[in-house]
Amino acid sequence: MSPRLTATILKKDFASGTRSPVFLWALVLPLAITLVLQVAFGSLFQPKPRLGIVDHGSSQVVRAVQAADGIRVRVFEDPEALREAVEANDVDAGLVLPRGFDEAVKAGARPTLTFWMSGESYAANRIVLAVTTIDLLRTLQGARPPVEVRVESVGEAGLPISVRLVPLIVFYALVMAGLFVPSSSLVEEKEQGTLKALLVTPARTTDVLVAKWTLGVVLASAMSVVTLVLNRALGSNWPEVLVVVAVAAMLTSALGIVVGALASDSQMLFGIVKGSGIFLFAPVAFYLFPDWPQWIARLFPLYWIIDPIWRVAVLGGHLSEVASEIGVALGITVALGALARSLSKRMQLQIATR
Amino acid sequence: MRRTVSRVAIVFALLKKELVAYARDTVYLALTLVVLIAAPLLFRAMPDRVDEELVLAICPPVERLLEGSTEALRALGASEADIARIRQADLTNQKGLLLVEFDDAAKMRAAIEGSLEVWRASDGTLVFVDTTAGEKRPRGAERVDVQVGVAFPERFLADLVAGARGIEVTVYTHASAPPELRQAVTSFVREAAFEIAGDELPVRFPDEKDVVLGTDRLGDQVSLREKMRPMLLFVVLMMETFSMASLVSTEVLERTVTAVLVTPAKVSDFIAAKTIFGTLVSFTQALIVLALIGGLTASSWSVVLAVLAIGAVMFTGIALIVGAAGKDFIGQLFYAMLFTVPLLIPAFAVLFPGSVAPWVRVLPTFPIIDVLVKATVYGGGWREAAGSLVYALAWLAVLFGAGVVALRRKVASL
Repeated sequence: MSPRLTATILKKDFASGTRSPVFLWALVLPLAITLVLQVAFGSLFQPKPRLGIVDHGSSQVVRAVQAADGIRVRVFEDPEALREAVEANDVDAGLVLPRGFDEAVKAGARPTLTFWMSGESYAANRIVLAVTTIDLLRTLQGARPPVEVRVESVGEAGLPISVRLVPLIVFYALVMAGLFVPSSSLVEEKEQGTLKALLVTPARTTDVLVAKWTLGVVLASAMSVVTLVLNRALGSNWPEVLVVVAVAAMLTSALGIVVGALASDSQMLFGIVKGSGIFLFAPVAFYLFPDWPQWIARLFPLYWIIDPIWRVAVLGGHLSEVASEIGVALGITVALGALARSLSKRMQLQIATR
Repeated sequence: MRRTVSRVAIVFALLKKELVAYARDTVYLALTLVVLIAAPLLFRAMPDRVDEELVLAICPPVERLLEGSTEALRALGASEADIARIRQADLTNQKGLLLVEFDDAAKMRAAIEGSLEVWRASDGTLVFVDTTAGEKRPRGAERVDVQVGVAFPERFLADLVAGARGIEVTVYTHASAPPELRQAVTSFVREAAFEIAGDELPVRFPDEKDVVLGTDRLGDQVSLREKMRPMLLFVVLMMETFSMASLVSTEVLERTVTAVLVTPAKVSDFIAAKTIFGTLVSFTQALIVLALIGGLTASSWSVVLAVLAIGAVMFTGIALIVGAAGKDFIGQLFYAMLFTVPLLIPAFAVLFPGSVAPWVRVLPTFPIIDVLVKATVYGGGWREAAGSLVYALAWLAVLFGAGVVALRRKVASL
């Protein structure tokens, strides 16, 4: 193997790779998935009660409800627009505060409240919004409650869904950049005949495979770090995070090289990736559903890279806690490297007979 | 000697060729099978009911709170009307509220912590299971997630009616309980105390019938499974874009289309065959999935079939555009994703509560998903779907027209 030739091929791959659709997908997909899962699905799994308010008299109630945790407040200009929004379930409830409302409550005039509930709003949201509103009105009135409520928190806070989704997003960053980019680059070269031309030069298949593998490692590491930063999962232990990410990128890229060496054309590559998708994805599902028996996840190869990322990057652990997992991941990488080496001979024969 | 061949026979022959090519394409054939198996499985895996209840634990039980206080209340001069008012505020019968009653605060705290499990049997009775003591979970019961509980003093009611102030009530919340729930239960306790103490509300509330706007779905919410039905049908239609585009691009890249055009077949026959084949394949798959997941009613079946047919032609049109544009397999895959990902947005939008954003309504696939939702989720018919169907047909004309033009130009350039 020649490091100089490998570097030249790698340089060429970086230069030409940016024009490849797969390369572009590898860059865009983690960002898109972060946006979709964190923004869209985060609110789908953990919906917050939504209150629409029309305030014509600069009411204190609006400020108080906006300061309340966990209630999404939307201010409307006129009651008709609010009514339509409640009817369409754009908000769970609507509250109209006319001019002079605060003064009337404070004076004990008991004004009639305009309060609407959407027919499609959930019972729990109706209760939360109704009792919170009444409590705020009592506060506005200045009434002192006859009870002192003491709140005591018990148990340990579970991880929110936005955090449990991080392994899923990192998984896609690793698979797209680490597995798909080097494998498709290799297959593309086979299809276009450039690999055959390359092998006429002093470069060997090993140089090509190492260059493609390095391409995958660099890209997968970069995209995983970007994904972790976007998901606010890169903490003060970032040097340790970089180590686990690098190991993960090495393993996925080695897998990419094996797949690329195996596939004779793009369709076969697509078929292999699609066919093995469930097998690769399986360990990630265990982070989304922590009640499942976790030992099953260990049966899948990508568990050994997803788990260190989870424990070091997301939970803030240290390398010493995941040393055995990293050891297994490096072992799998070496085994895949040996497999890729033996497949390279088959690939060379394949190219020669094309 | 010249033999006249009818256009129908040519298109039919091309259709047979398409079928053979499709059957040989193992990747897409496997993908088709995966979709046909995965879609119904995913549908069944979705929850079929909406958990909209607010679960509130209390101790001591309501009955004990009342029993322990009735005599004291009388002794303190409370009238029978006062006692009746307190009894009528029966929390156990509040709609949307599941009250879990505990004998003591320690047990309630254990349930919130999770060491004591609460299960609801099919007849609605609540069963407490202490897993640390090796107790078994009841069969056929569902777990009740108790996140918040209120520990009232035994003489809570009596003291309140007697005019006592500063009575201490402890609200236990699990650390992961959402803040709005914590706040709501605190507010709830304060308001209950105000009411029992006889303090009237600072405002007048409108009649209940004037409060709820739109169809009241309390206890009858649309489940995630029902919401997934239109989405799955839509995805099945869309997935065919990939395989259809592949069939088109293969002919373009390998220039077999030029071989076809040497025969009496014209470009229009080629496009007609592709359109019929693509539409039939995606429409048939959607029908299979529909049969497996259900959703047809006497009033909606014709609308559903009509919109599935429109969707199948629309996605075939998109496949013609993608197939004509792709320079290789990966490029074609990229273009297919580029088209289908934005077109998937309306299908996701229906999973969220509320009306769909105006920019989503502009997308060509919105009317398709809108009709599917109206027909399969709410049982709507032609009257409810008419506007969206006209809009879908307009987009169909644009996309299919663009597909035909793109493919014609591509074939002409070969």
